[in-house]
Amino acid sequence: MRWPLPAALLLLAALPLLGAAVLSLGALFDADAWRALWQDPQGPRALALSLWTGLASTILAWWATRSLLAQGFVQRRLARVLRGLPPMLATPHAAFAIGLVFLLAPSGWVLRAVSPWLTGLGSPPPWPTTQDPWGLGLIAALALKETPFLLWTAATQMQRDDVRRRWRAEHDLAQTLGYAPRRAFDLVVWPQLAPRLIGPLVAVLAYGLTVVDMALVIGPASPPTLAVLAWQWLLDADPAANAQGAAAGGVLALAVAVSVALWRLVPARAALCARLDTGARGRLAAASRCGRGWGGALLIAVYGAVFAALALGSVAGVWPFPDLWPETLSTRAWASVWAGRGTVLTTLGLAAASAALALAWSVAWLETAPRRWNAGLRPLLYLPLVTPAVLWVVGLYGAALWLRIEGRWPALLAAHTLMAMPYVLLALEPAYLGFDPRHRAVSSSLGHGRARFLLLVKWPLLRRALAASAAVGFAVSVAQYLPTLYLGAGRWSTVTTEAVSLAAGGQRSLTSAYAGLQFALPLLGFALAAWVGRPRRFAPPPGAADGGTGDPARARAGPARAGVPGSAP
Amino acid sequence: MTLRVDIIALGNTQRTLLRGLRFEVPPGTVLTLMGPSGCGKSSVLAAIAGTLDSGAEDAEPLRLDGSIRLNGVDLGPRPTARRGVGLLFQDALLFPHLTVAENLLFAVPPGARASRRARVQQALQDAGLAGFGDRDPATLSGGQQARVAVMRALLAQPRALLLDEPFSKLDTALRSHFRAFVFDHIQAHGIPAVLVTHDRADVADPARVLELAGGGPYHAPTR
Repeated sequence: MRWPLPAALLLLAALPLLGAAVLSLGALFDADAWRALWQDPQGPRALALSLWTGLASTILAWWATRSLLAQGFVQRRLARVLRGLPPMLATPHAAFAIGLVFLLAPSGWVLRAVSPWLTGLGSPPPWPTTQDPWGLGLIAALALKETPFLLWTAATQMQRDDVRRRWRAEHDLAQTLGYAPRRAFDLVVWPQLAPRLIGPLVAVLAYGLTVVDMALVIGPASPPTLAVLAWQWLLDADPAANAQGAAAGGVLALAVAVSVALWRLVPARAALCARLDTGARGRLAAASRCGRGWGGALLIAVYGAVFAALALGSVAGVWPFPDLWPETLSTRAWASVWAGRGTVLTTLGLAAASAALALAWSVAWLETAPRRWNAGLRPLLYLPLVTPAVLWVVGLYGAALWLRIEGRWPALLAAHTLMAMPYVLLALEPAYLGFDPRHRAVSSSLGHGRARFLLLVKWPLLRRALAASAAVGFAVSVAQYLPTLYLGAGRWSTVTTEAVSLAAGGQRSLTSAYAGLQFALPLLGFALAAWVGRPRRFAPPPGAADGGTGDPARARAGPARAGVPGSAP
Repeated sequence: MTLRVDIIALGNTQRTLLRGLRFEVPPGTVLTLMGPSGCGKSSVLAAIAGTLDSGAEDAEPLRLDGSIRLNGVDLGPRPTARRGVGLLFQDALLFPHLTVAENLLFAVPPGARASRRARVQQALQDAGLAGFGDRDPATLSGGQQARVAVMRALLAQPRALLLDEPFSKLDTALRSHFRAFVFDHIQAHGIPAVLVTHDRADVADPARVLELAGGGPYHAPTR
């Protein structure tokens, strides 16, 4: 085993991760900050809102994931359910929230569609349909956004050939024992799948509890969630308020830890055993009644409507209330995006560079690191995913200060790369580690060295997975809000920071344009990845058009020598 | 309880796997289907069990033109769960997230908790695996796993049993012992069984062998 390379790779990833973690923890040792936080009148309600929105959205997303997977698996349409995922995954949280606001707001499309004929409304009502004080909008946005992520992580498990075949066989077997298809899924497939989704689930939970950009757009405002409150304190000019913000980040980290611990207490195992004890087979009719995949269609429809709302909103001029379509169309917003094209270029440059770095690191790591190390690295890699972003950026900023790169391009790039890395590695790992080792043996036996094997065999064969994980890294980078603003010291703007800061104002068309770009750029990334990773087309074999059923030899087939009674035709 | 299989054709729009296969299996007997891999013998079992569409998702599933009758009842319209046809594969396919006893409990028909558990204990005893109930199936030897799989299939009280090369992964010493174990249980339950194999040594009853081989008619087209 050659150690130096993987060790260097490990240091490359671990040093900044651990450094940021230590520095953000260090920011918590400030008694005054804790006292101020303790006495803050908004604190308790903000924390309660955070817990409520985070837990409710996670439970909803978990339930939706389970139903969609069950439906897809039972109806053998899993591939179709999963095909719509990449664009949904690529959608940045903030853009999705902005689009959802434009749909649900009192002046939004949904209400326009039913006004005035149904509601009798001639002007937008003063309803709190977005930024509602109960956090319902935030919960809906989070659940809709996290379900595709959970589905995708489940898919990476289920689409592995060996796993899929095994689970199919077990599912069939359960049916031969009399279980209805859906019940067979619940008892056999799901209990094996769910434990493998714990990591992603914790990430979803942590994200929901600590999200800032989405909550700024669609979450409650007075008080906001604790994460938003912490972010506001971090941006304060007063260092005491900054420390209080870091302390609030600490509280959120604690909330995540406690929630995860509570979640693990959920007696899934006991529920399974109780069902085993009765031996009930489940109703067969349930399978046909659970609909022909409308759940997946609904998800796609919401994303489509969000995108349409943004696209139309970005070119809408005058648009009086109950009208479904704007009176005038205008390209002003796009002209102003073009005038500030540096923002788009910054976004593209950062995303491309961080995706490339994250991919290069992941490939090098998976190629050289011993499997044991890979397993050991996992908790460390999940660190940026489960640490509250408000706390995380404090640590990153501390590290950047120490390196004297705060507010500069390298700091931004490092922050984006660190955030993209776990996702890229997660996306690449199943395919990369699942690569048939016999290819290597064959290649070596033909006298080829490692470099030739990688360049001519392994990477070409894994082209699709490589391209897809790079696209994931690209999308993650485009969506970064907190690190971009905080590490860039406000000097760099990307489409995401623009969209979120505009969302608070009244410029519907410009907000839509930037949010639409947030949507479109990662999509382009995924489209490019799909094109790069398209399967190679070979020339059709001669005579392939002939299906082969017309073979006369088969027509005279009959039971061969048989010593079985009753077998004669 | 007689299994009567009448396959006019088995295939899809792309290809026909086999044509004109008819046989009948009386209760308590084992019919052996022999043939090289790819001749469609496993697909015959899938047609009987009703699991023809469980191949790859994007592949066109095979269709059965013909009828499968068990005791005179046409199984065709019934879903797998209502056919009462048990399946045994070459892999024991014990559910890895359940203990050995739970795997067996899974198969016992619904009923009172105590009696279901008693049947599991009885089955463990019959398989010579008393005391193995709480074990992780992965810690059992291949032969032990195979026996659990048989007991699991039988606990569901199937009206017919299909065996898809169940002996091929066992070593020779275990093999004859396990074969006897399986065939004895089939006979005791008085149900018809179909065994698929490519190994002549596995044949249950030399008088009841159906060869799908023979170089010509049954061979699947290469494309």
